[in-house]
Amino acid sequence: MHEMAVAQSLLDMVEEEIARQGCRRLDVAYVEYGALSGIVPESLQFCFEVMIRGTSHEGARLEMLCLPMRLRCSSCGNVFGGEGQEALWQACPGCGEQFGHAVVLGKELILSRLQIR
Amino acid sequence: MQIPIVRNVLEANEKKAEDVRRLLSGHKILTLNLISSPGAGKTSLLERTLRDLSGEFQMAVIEGDLQTDNDARRVAATGAQAVQINTDGGCHLDSNMVLKALENLHLRCLDILFIENVGNLVCPVEFDCGEDAKVALLSVTEGDDKPEKYPLLFNLAKVMVLNKIDLLPYVDFDMSRARAFAVKLNRQLNIFELSCRSGEGLEQWYGWLREMRMAKKRLQE
Repeated sequence: MHEMAVAQSLLDMVEEEIARQGCRRLDVAYVEYGALSGIVPESLQFCFEVMIRGTSHEGARLEMLCLPMRLRCSSCGNVFGGEGQEALWQACPGCGEQFGHAVVLGKELILSRLQIR
Repeated sequence: MQIPIVRNVLEANEKKAEDVRRLLSGHKILTLNLISSPGAGKTSLLERTLRDLSGEFQMAVIEGDLQTDNDARRVAATGAQAVQINTDGGCHLDSNMVLKALENLHLRCLDILFIENVGNLVCPVEFDCGEDAKVALLSVTEGDDKPEKYPLLFNLAKVMVLNKIDLLPYVDFDMSRARAFAVKLNRQLNIFELSCRSGEGLEQWYGWLREMRMAKKRLQE
């Protein structure tokens, strides 16, 4: 459900940028998301498609890229990587600490580039 | 043509959340965002808290539900101010809804504001409502693996309340498992085991509320 709200924010942002550039139509919007952002890419794609149906952007695509996750060890401060939510459970490769790593990268949801005309 | 942008897709919500935070902090109001699955006992915890602490604090509640004002009526029966937001199927509250709801509350003299989010462990976590802290509520009639399944909430929350402990003898909930995984995600997590029905354990939760409220007051002075 909440992908609908995200798709709406995304579309608002796209409209704003298109107007700023004096363009009229979106071809591709590039979105980068962290594994912890709670976004289901297929669902966001679907919501976005539904939302632009019947508008001047009909047929435009979303290109989604999942960003790698980075965690900072709660004990030694070592920054290490991981994939997916399970990475939150992994032990620090530096000191072995298992508890309470801080998420440095992974919660992002970013509109990174637009192809417009 | 191609243009690079780099904008946070949720920036509109986060900007409004800052407006909410500024407004409430100006009034020194401690604001807590309650998040749980449906039926874990958010409204029951509020009913108890509002009744038991009514002599100490002025409190208000923003109730988020898909439909009905049943919860707002339950909460208002305790004498506290209550505003109902119906999301009409929407799965979470956002900062814009909260900002609008605040227009219906008397903020002067208010000490604590509770935002009771829509029952859901996923979407509400993504949307900052301008709160000071998120409170994750879990009941022992649910699976003890909730912290494993929904790690982001427990990673971000300041508190985990484990409700319905009076039912522990009748269910297979493994308290140590739930606690271990939650702490693994969040070393600073405050955990309160309680029962809104029997009243057991509530005093520790109230102690934390008093502490947080004091800290909020001092911060602004």
